[in-house]
Amino acid sequence: MRFILRIVLAALVVFVLQVTVAHRLAVIGAVPDLVLVLLAVLVIDRGPVIGVVAGFLLGFLQDLGNAELLGMNALAKSVVGYGIARFGGDYLPDNPLFRGLLVFAAALANDVIVLNISRSFDAADVVTTFLRSSLLSGIYTAVLAVVVIQVVRLLPGRVVRPGGRY
Amino acid sequence: MQIVSFLFERHIEKTVLAVAVIISVVLLTRPDDSTVAAGRVISSYLLYPVDQAGRYIGSLEELREENRRLRRLVVSLNHEKELLLQFREERNRLRELLGFRRDGFWEFLPCEVIARSSSRYHSSITLDRGADAGVRPGMPVVGYRGLVGRVTQVFPSSSRALLLNNKSVQVSCLVKRSRVVGVLGWERGNLFRLDFVGREEDIHPGDTLVTSGLGRVFPKGFPVGTVFQVTADKTELSRRIGVVSMTDLNRLEEVFIITGGREWESGEIWLELQELDRSGASGPARGGSGE
Repeated sequence: MRFILRIVLAALVVFVLQVTVAHRLAVIGAVPDLVLVLLAVLVIDRGPVIGVVAGFLLGFLQDLGNAELLGMNALAKSVVGYGIARFGGDYLPDNPLFRGLLVFAAALANDVIVLNISRSFDAADVVTTFLRSSLLSGIYTAVLAVVVIQVVRLLPGRVVRPGGRY
Repeated sequence: MQIVSFLFERHIEKTVLAVAVIISVVLLTRPDDSTVAAGRVISSYLLYPVDQAGRYIGSLEELREENRRLRRLVVSLNHEKELLLQFREERNRLRELLGFRRDGFWEFLPCEVIARSSSRYHSSITLDRGADAGVRPGMPVVGYRGLVGRVTQVFPSSSRALLLNNKSVQVSCLVKRSRVVGVLGWERGNLFRLDFVGREEDIHPGDTLVTSGLGRVFPKGFPVGTVFQVTADKTELSRRIGVVSMTDLNRLEEVFIITGGREWESGEIWLELQELDRSGASGPARGGSGE
């Protein structure tokens, strides 16, 4: 229950930051996906079920802040949450490099889903936009996620499990 | 029971993922009903106080300087406005002689941008004025330099506007100099293209595009962009025309919703200048009053 409350509270804060502050953090036009960073922090070693549920809730909240296409981010973040939880928990070594690569791959997967839906599966348009903005944003999001995960692990009161997981 | 056991005990992870995907797809395919609208209202309420507090703390000195600058600008613009009004009156008299309708003035509702779209691929902004201030869906939104979008959703104390840099938005425009008409569509960033312009039409780089008013979606005469490129199309039937928007659509902070039109009231400039004098404007205000 405490975990769900924490997700809801963190989601509200990050959602507000995403729509009010994120564009001011842009580097060479790349805007970080703070919602994805939060998703990675929350689910990277919690298991796929939590990954899907947290991803769906965060994506749905993000959809409420958009002018159209309700369900688009919910779908993308559910799939991405599943992937992060599945691969982050079981298959990848627990170090910042692999965590960064995982979040980078998740950011790209998220953009592929979102772009396809929002551009009505227009392949040329999707590829152009993906190459133009998704790669850089993905790197930015991954770096930010690694930093945030490291900071969260340093917080007092975190119970670190064997292998560095908390 | 065996199916439930199979789904929720042996394949719980895949089942939860499938449920989430199905719900998302259902949400994507259903229309925007009242339940969804309520959720959007809650999110708009959430954003407003946070943005206001941040702005208040961070911008006091900036506001003072901007205020001083704007006061000087107001005096100069009022003087210019009075001259233009004389031209307008003259124009209206001539229009009446020819049987045309009189021109009106637009009512502008100043708004602050309190949030941008949380998705990088849907360009919309949330504004701090809503139904309480008379905002309705479909009202055009302009910036200091020209058209920026249109209100699509209205909540009690906020509203959401779809910007021009959106694949689903197209604007009928005309070239200010030669009156050539075309349809403006978004390409990327602040770049647009003007379609349906014949190869023989008179259009050059540097030309200004304004809204045509055709279709009555956007009012006529608001600047939209500047032509920067004119090249021959592959078909040789039309031309490919690149346009850069007047306003940087990624950096909007203050905009105006056009809430309607009205007739100009005589003596309005004088009242505005008196108000400016009372609030401590400097001497030139009196000089520009047209006494």
